[in-house]
Amino acid sequence: MAGHTWRRLLADRTARAAAGVLGAAALAAVLAPWIAGYDPTAQPDPVALRLAAPSWQHPFGTDPFSRDVCSRVLHGARISLGVAAGAMLLSVTLGTTLGALAAVLGGWVDGVVSALVDVLIAMPRLLVVIALVATFGALSPWWLVVLIGGSGWLTTARIVRAEVRDHQQREYVTAARALGASRWRIVWRHLLPAVAPQVAVAAALALAAVIPLEAALSFVGLGIQPPLPSWGNILLDGSDYLTTAWWLVVFPMAAITLTVGSALVLADRLRVAIAGEGRPS
Amino acid sequence: MHLLTPRRLAIALCCLAACRGGDAASPGGILVVSAGADAETLFPPLTVGNQGRAVTELLYDKLADIGPGLNTIGDGGFVPKLASRWEWSADSLTIAFHLDARARWHDGRAVTARDVQYAFRVWTDSAVGAAQRNALATIDSISTPDSLTARVHFRERTPEQFFALVYTLIPLPAHRLAALPDSALHDAPEMRAPVGSGPFRFVSWTPRVQLELAANETYYGGRPTLDGVVFAVAAQGATVAARLLSGEADFLEQLSPTDFAQLPADGRVRAQAFGGFDYAFVQFNIRDARDAGRLHPLFGDRALRRALTMAVDRATVVRSVFDSLARPAIGPFSRTQWTADTTLTGIPFDVAGAARALDSLGWRRRGGDGMRERAGQALAFALLAPASSRTRQAAAVLLQAQFKAAGVQVTIEQVDFNAFLDRAHRGAFDAMVGGVRASPSPRGVRDLWGTSAPGRGALNWGRWSNAAFDVQVDSALAASDTASVRAHFRSAYQTAIDDAPAIWLYEPRIFAGLHRRLTTGAIRPDAWWSGVARWSIDPAQRLPRDRRAAVPR
Amino acid sequence: MTRRIVVRLLQAAAVLAVVATAVFVLLQFAPGDPFAAALDGTNVPPSVRMEWRARYGFDLPPAERFVRWIGALAHGELGYAASRHRPVADVVADAVPRTLLLVGVALALGFAAGILVGLVQARHHRRWPDRLLGALTLGGVAMPEFLLGLLAMTWLGARWRLFPVAGIASLGDTATWPAWERALDLLWHLALPAVVLAVGVAARVARHQRAALLGVLGEDYIRTARAKGLGEWRVLWHHALPNAIGPVLALLGLALPSLIGGAVLIERIFGWPGMGLTLFDALLARDYPLVLAAVLLATVVAVVARALTDVVAESVAPRRARIP
Repeated sequence: MAGHTWRRLLADRTARAAAGVLGAAALAAVLAPWIAGYDPTAQPDPVALRLAAPSWQHPFGTDPFSRDVCSRVLHGARISLGVAAGAMLLSVTLGTTLGALAAVLGGWVDGVVSALVDVLIAMPRLLVVIALVATFGALSPWWLVVLIGGSGWLTTARIVRAEVRDHQQREYVTAARALGASRWRIVWRHLLPAVAPQVAVAAALALAAVIPLEAALSFVGLGIQPPLPSWGNILLDGSDYLTTAWWLVVFPMAAITLTVGSALVLADRLRVAIAGEGRPS
Repeated sequence: MHLLTPRRLAIALCCLAACRGGDAASPGGILVVSAGADAETLFPPLTVGNQGRAVTELLYDKLADIGPGLNTIGDGGFVPKLASRWEWSADSLTIAFHLDARARWHDGRAVTARDVQYAFRVWTDSAVGAAQRNALATIDSISTPDSLTARVHFRERTPEQFFALVYTLIPLPAHRLAALPDSALHDAPEMRAPVGSGPFRFVSWTPRVQLELAANETYYGGRPTLDGVVFAVAAQGATVAARLLSGEADFLEQLSPTDFAQLPADGRVRAQAFGGFDYAFVQFNIRDARDAGRLHPLFGDRALRRALTMAVDRATVVRSVFDSLARPAIGPFSRTQWTADTTLTGIPFDVAGAARALDSLGWRRRGGDGMRERAGQALAFALLAPASSRTRQAAAVLLQAQFKAAGVQVTIEQVDFNAFLDRAHRGAFDAMVGGVRASPSPRGVRDLWGTSAPGRGALNWGRWSNAAFDVQVDSALAASDTASVRAHFRSAYQTAIDDAPAIWLYEPRIFAGLHRRLTTGAIRPDAWWSGVARWSIDPAQRLPRDRRAAVPR
Repeated sequence: MTRRIVVRLLQAAAVLAVVATAVFVLLQFAPGDPFAAALDGTNVPPSVRMEWRARYGFDLPPAERFVRWIGALAHGELGYAASRHRPVADVVADAVPRTLLLVGVALALGFAAGILVGLVQARHHRRWPDRLLGALTLGGVAMPEFLLGLLAMTWLGARWRLFPVAGIASLGDTATWPAWERALDLLWHLALPAVVLAVGVAARVARHQRAALLGVLGEDYIRTARAKGLGEWRVLWHHALPNAIGPVLALLGLALPSLIGGAVLIERIFGWPGMGLTLFDALLARDYPLVLAAVLLATVVAVVARALTDVVAESVAPRRARIP
């Protein structure tokens, strides 16, 4: 039945468009070294060429250090999307594992996981991450992935737990159990594939949550360390020039909004596909 | 006078003001200051930051204030405040201050010699932990021959003994506080609603939001022209500037380069330069970041420090970050200090020279990325920068690119200020972008750059140690005529520049942002607030917010 | 029901204890103390800082500090916020009402606008108002709040001067104003931050509301209502909305933590001195009694909100069974 969901999703034009935008962003990230016109950290002339408005040479203008904003946004996709994808994978894996464990094992495991989720979900994530970053100091992107991903598993765990519990009651699981399949075999062969679409929804939502989080972290100066470009720290560089150099803010902002929006649309369409109604929007 | 409660006094004063008001030149208007930080406390011994000083020094008067020339030797140029005059003993070990008989605390009680004596006790009691206690180390005691005479006894003669005393010690209202044990002063409610002696009295304080002061109508130096001062606090730099640009505030202590670019074309807000004592530098850690017993593998070497300095184009850094709002720094001092010397020879920017020096030290460019290495070890270091300072961050980014061009791999570590300071204190860094607000006295150089030892080098995070520099600074601080002080400092500064414990980066030229309705006169570089009592607001441009408080019932 | 609530409360208390310990341990690893912030570029010797540390017990072993803090907490004392020279309780008492006001107004505005937008979208399903509002709400969710706040502050506040830039009250002698004028003034300052926060809420609510309405509109009783010749708005308002509001109200509890998180940067940008700003500053100042108090408070508020949401959801849900 999960297979139907994927097929319905593929048939959905809106979903394909959203996936296309995300794919294009990912492609830009991968190809950045070849398609970006400049080295994103090169400062050709930090006095004469700083804050140059968009032109043919610099389609997105230059920043306060005379770096090419277009190249920085492209390379920023590598960092921002890379961190986001990594954190998303980590949080979804963690969440799925913990959620499934809680649902399957029940008892005190379930109690602990549920209670943890209940309370931790109430804590503002941005603050948790800021506290962690403040503790560990200047972080490499890898550590950011670990911290952001490690703080984001709650929603996934909650969804997966509910779904697995739901599916456990269904006939096909009862049947498999009657046929003598072991508990973990059922989880692996039946339950996880069945909840996969829901996990995909959670993953898309996680992606949509992580990109702005990285941006906010970089905005307070504690995210990606210079000179590496990320959408968040391009925004930080531009935040002092909101009224004088719009190009510093508009392009990374568009990049963030487009990718986050696409991830949200994808999550939406997935839900619709799961519901099976297939109602066009 | 004793019959007058503060409230009755206030009523009387307001009536007085009402009778007086009317003519165009009359006082009035409320100055709104946009501030990026709030005072930590309103208790003078415990205030550290600039904002705390600004507020407490409007509330409390000193015995005497430094003159416009900012001279710190002897008592030349000092202006009488609470002390209307003073006389030195023949051996210069005692100074008798005669208090102004008209000086009153804001509750109406007279300022007495006991208040000076009490303040000294508070300032030097370790239970209080006054920030600038060390400045009073040469004072033995204060005696009070009569209620208006405070006699200060020094342990030793120093050229700056007068400055150190009056610039640091602020008389406190003993009649209100002396009953409390010193250790309870920190948290006493009185600290949040202080009774001072200065031109403005306390009205209200909502921490991190706003602080309101009103003119002290009975100020012995004459009522301030303004009706009051309001400090409006915001945390985000852009917000602080926006308050001024939008006209919500009249004054901003320091315009950043980006604020400068946004000044409206209609002249509603203008900039006024007033010097400033800040200078910033890249400080090398001379000792190993993990083991203070060893030299730093890179920066222990003077020749390498000089070569790295040579590789840095400071003029470009300054122009990119500050445009014309800063100048390259010269050495371990600010141009505004009177001992400053602009004729010293610095290490010039010289790409070819830097390359030659690095080559001769064995750091050769490798194939591929062109970075330098020696015996397989790359020429690489981490540059620590505080996330709280946008300008220092920007400087770090520019330097990183310049070093890269010279074949030096620099990693920026941008951390929040607490982590920054912690690592500085522990010496756990390779190099850091540091910044200092110097004081009018050149003495601070000994703490910042002197060899770490009791009484010196307390803030020398890079642990640079140079015997010649120490001796030259000591001679300068012991000399009593300005010419020889200058001469000794000149050689000390030159020693520091030549030995390159740091790359001297920039000195911001501070421009205050002012609304055009505000008239200030000259602003003193070490304390913009020093003349606020004489500032005025054009009566024709008064706003609804300038309305005076109704008479309290 | 009572038993369930008690169990849940006990669970929450246990996890709160774990969270408090975790936060405390974390803060012990974070370098620095509340006294560092004042020392940027000043000539204050480290020995003075050591005295301050000793004065507020920052030189004690972490275990002892923790025991002291817990002991005080057991007596209802939240401790002393050294970074502010005030008791934690005073700082919190100042900040909490401001955040409640900000978040409350943002929630109210956001839900009202979101439900309305959802209704309009459902009414004009698949026509241009739906598509336009759909794009706008998507943008509203996808745009980081701090960016919107920064843009609003610089353009609407500083540049065009339509709104106050920051703070909670006009500067000057507001203390002498009549109460209603001060209340208006407060709302006036609340406008930008509350609207900026409400945009994200409204966008989320609208998307949920639209989906929920469309789900309900296919049902038989709606067809019956339409067949009776009721106007489309009447059908939407009286028949569809009551049944589609449940899942949207459930958002209320879920929205709160993210709203409090979003409020941190918004409060910072607009100089709104609420809990978000307090917590942020306290974190950077390593003022652990204040951080702990704020974290515990935020958690309690969110847990309570969730519980309330559950109750509301339960009381709304039966209507679905009743009406059709």
